[in-house]
Amino acid sequence: MKTIFLTFLLVLLSACAGQQRETNNLANLLTQQSPQEILTQLQSINPPERDYAQFHLNVGLLQLLSGDFPASIATLTQAKKEMAVLEATSISETMAAGTLNETLRSYSGYPLDRVMVHNILALSYLFNDDISGARVEMLQADVAMQKLASKKSLTGQLATTHLLAGIIYEMLDEQSNALISYKFSENIINERQLSVPKGLQQALLRLSYAVDRNGQYVTYKQRYQGFSSPMGNVNSQVFALYFDGVVSHKRQRTLMVPSGNGEQLIRISMPAYQHKTMRQTRAGLSSANNQVTTQLIENLEVLVREDLSKEYPSILLLTTTRALAKYHLVAEANQQDSLLGALMNLATVLTEVADLRSWSMLPANIQFAYLETTGNSLRINKGQTTQQDISLAKDSKNLLLISSLKTPVFHYQQ
Amino acid sequence: MKIKNNFLFIVLTTLFLTACSTSVERLDAQQEVDLSGAWNDTDSQLVATEMVEDALSRAWITNFLKAQGKEPVVIVGKIRNLSHEHINTNTFIADIERELINSGEVQFVASADARDEIRAERGDQDLNASQATRSMMGEEYGADYMMQGQINTIIDMDGSTQVRFYQVNLELVSMKDNRKVWVGQKKIKKLISNSKLRQ
Repeated sequence: MKTIFLTFLLVLLSACAGQQRETNNLANLLTQQSPQEILTQLQSINPPERDYAQFHLNVGLLQLLSGDFPASIATLTQAKKEMAVLEATSISETMAAGTLNETLRSYSGYPLDRVMVHNILALSYLFNDDISGARVEMLQADVAMQKLASKKSLTGQLATTHLLAGIIYEMLDEQSNALISYKFSENIINERQLSVPKGLQQALLRLSYAVDRNGQYVTYKQRYQGFSSPMGNVNSQVFALYFDGVVSHKRQRTLMVPSGNGEQLIRISMPAYQHKTMRQTRAGLSSANNQVTTQLIENLEVLVREDLSKEYPSILLLTTTRALAKYHLVAEANQQDSLLGALMNLATVLTEVADLRSWSMLPANIQFAYLETTGNSLRINKGQTTQQDISLAKDSKNLLLISSLKTPVFHYQQ
Repeated sequence: MKIKNNFLFIVLTTLFLTACSTSVERLDAQQEVDLSGAWNDTDSQLVATEMVEDALSRAWITNFLKAQGKEPVVIVGKIRNLSHEHINTNTFIADIERELINSGEVQFVASADARDEIRAERGDQDLNASQATRSMMGEEYGADYMMQGQINTIIDMDGSTQVRFYQVNLELVSMKDNRKVWVGQKKIKKLISNSKLRQ
């Protein structure tokens, strides 16, 4: 009976690990196949209930990149609710994580996920022609970032979120709110020791000119030179976000050693990110009288690693405790019956798997560009060969989402 | 010893034997139920009732009656959601419309969207309905006042406890000269404590 139960358990757990590998493999394929194709394959996976939040995050993002905005809103709203519920600790799941492995804990999302979900939702609302919905998401993102804020680190603080909030406020003519959001974005970029993109520099100049011409504008004009005075905008404005590549996913690092007496094997598995030097690509925007290239605003490769590093002490503690508990369990079983001991040892070794779950289909980095034009069309270049022309209404405000993946350029215009 | 041997099986059995069932209970539509602490139907009804009561008890309505000798005609315009939540303002507008119509103290005209549909039907009647039953074009009631407003929130939080402050601002603007004849405000404050533990 016990043997059958153990076999059943092993099959069940290996199936879960297999599902995780499959999701990560699909993330790898995103650079070769269209998001629509990957979405179809991802939706054929039936994840365990504890992985629903991760599953819905990935599905929702792919739905956005496939142009199915209402579905993306519904799926990501579901993911957001799931993560909110899972913020509370479950005693039974903690016990399971302490006795078997970390994957038995529900995926509640890393700080990056909890904020980024609002960004993706805001974009979905915008492309679904609902700027009020996008505004609500930005307010919720602000609350999420306040919850995660700490004096010691930038965990969960995203420059992109503040930037997107600024763009949305600017589109709604809420100039003070827009300026404040752009300032927050600038602060985070400075704290991360990145260069402030020209588009953001222009935004700070433009909004400070509108709100506080004799005060803050003077300061920004000294800080960011080389731009002409933003004398009341009569041109079409284009805000472009560029999603570059696909973020890395975690790998399992395993160590297996015989116990001191040589009677059993002890296995320890930890999640880790591989060192990755990715070549960034850029998108170019050219109009009749202007040409700009997107610039880095957020490197998600760094952020996912920071999130894991923050979790590492607790993962290490639980892994060590679990190894100790498993050792004693096998030793007890061995004393009773050597076959039961061997089986138990096999079970403890095979069930020791690292938690490799993450929002693995996010872009590797996010870039931004801003352009003003009097023309009525815009050419977007991504990669070496892909070009797309966008029509602009006169004096319009436009937000573009460009992805290095096989997607068209998504365009919101007002 | 036996207890220790069976420990693993007890733990595992607990993990995999999670029983779930769905239950449905019919509730009175007037019953107050707060699940998440977010804006809900109770808030919408409460605010609509109180604000319309306030609007109808102010001097503008008697002044209009005295000057014009008829009840004012009101239309509900846009109510902007500037809050942290995805609030369906249509249900709130419907609550306000219901309260205004049922008060019997004001005339009420359909919103811009509804009017388009009615005009299309009237146009169709022009062609297809008999003279005796046809509704004529150009006989619409023009509104004297438009009600506009916004829903705002302020959120203050500490750990798993949140205070949500909702402020609903409504105003009645004269269509003739843009005068604001009434400004109403309703505030709701909610303390929400989320459990740090779950099942």
